[in-house]
Amino acid sequence: MTMPILVACLAGLLVGLSRQLNGRLAVSTSPLISSFWNHAVGFAALTVLGLVVGGLIPPGAENAPWHAYVGGPIGVVFVAAGSWVIARIGAVNTAILVIGGQMVSGVLLDLVLAAPTTLWATGLGVILILAGVVVTQTQAKR
Amino acid sequence: MTTSTPRPRLIHFMAAFGTGGLLTLMVHFNGELGRYGNALFSSWGAHGTGTVAAILFLALLYRRRERNTAERLPAPFWAYLGGLSGAATVMLTSLAVNSPLALAGTLALGLAGQVVFSLGADLWGLFGLPRRRPTLRDLAALALILAGSALIILFRGFES
Repeated sequence: MTMPILVACLAGLLVGLSRQLNGRLAVSTSPLISSFWNHAVGFAALTVLGLVVGGLIPPGAENAPWHAYVGGPIGVVFVAAGSWVIARIGAVNTAILVIGGQMVSGVLLDLVLAAPTTLWATGLGVILILAGVVVTQTQAKR
Repeated sequence: MTTSTPRPRLIHFMAAFGTGGLLTLMVHFNGELGRYGNALFSSWGAHGTGTVAAILFLALLYRRRERNTAERLPAPFWAYLGGLSGAATVMLTSLAVNSPLALAGTLALGLAGQVVFSLGADLWGLFGLPRRRPTLRDLAALALILAGSALIILFRGFES
């Protein structure tokens, strides 16, 4: 059980590392150029991995509807925005605001998709997150 | 902008929060792609379409970026490796999700890892970004947002 725990923590660590590196690249180039390199380098690495391990294009993949591919372009904007913001408000603020935004919008998406939720926990969670966002805002005006 | 370190403004905070919404959509669509293929295919496909989209966006905005690129410091080679870290994240996440941790545990621990890294990154100004000493307010906001996230993650998927 310790192994999966380490793996999950490392995955989170790498999210932070990726944003830090892309943020640094954006300082020298631009957020969109940084996002381009992030995707191009990632694509190259995954292509090599897929060719080595096999199963890059698994059976059934060709049946995916076009909108399943919309995640890529959204990711471009996501990485560009993160790279722009991190040099301006710092890594901690970027991380917690992105996490907060992801959680609150995730709850909204769950509501739209009518996914089962525990109402009190979800409601309280959203309130705590919004309170945290307000705390960062008061700091911004200082 | 006249100073090299602009003061944080409301728009930066709103952009970061809104970016979280993009992440939700991205995860949703990539998950859809993964259902037809697998985790590797989903990430590969998203990175591929993302690369093409980035080129299109850059082509559209080409005329707008002509000024002051010469004054900027060149990027060190490692700054180009953010994509490697991102690609590795996908594999580690799919490993963890398929362990006893499941999705909720993976997400919760992932947030913890992210926050620990960002604290260190700000504290020491890692990888060439500005050093920022986390304030008490930063830590209060961090505690509130993590607690709220934990509640949402750990109770997701259960009927009330």
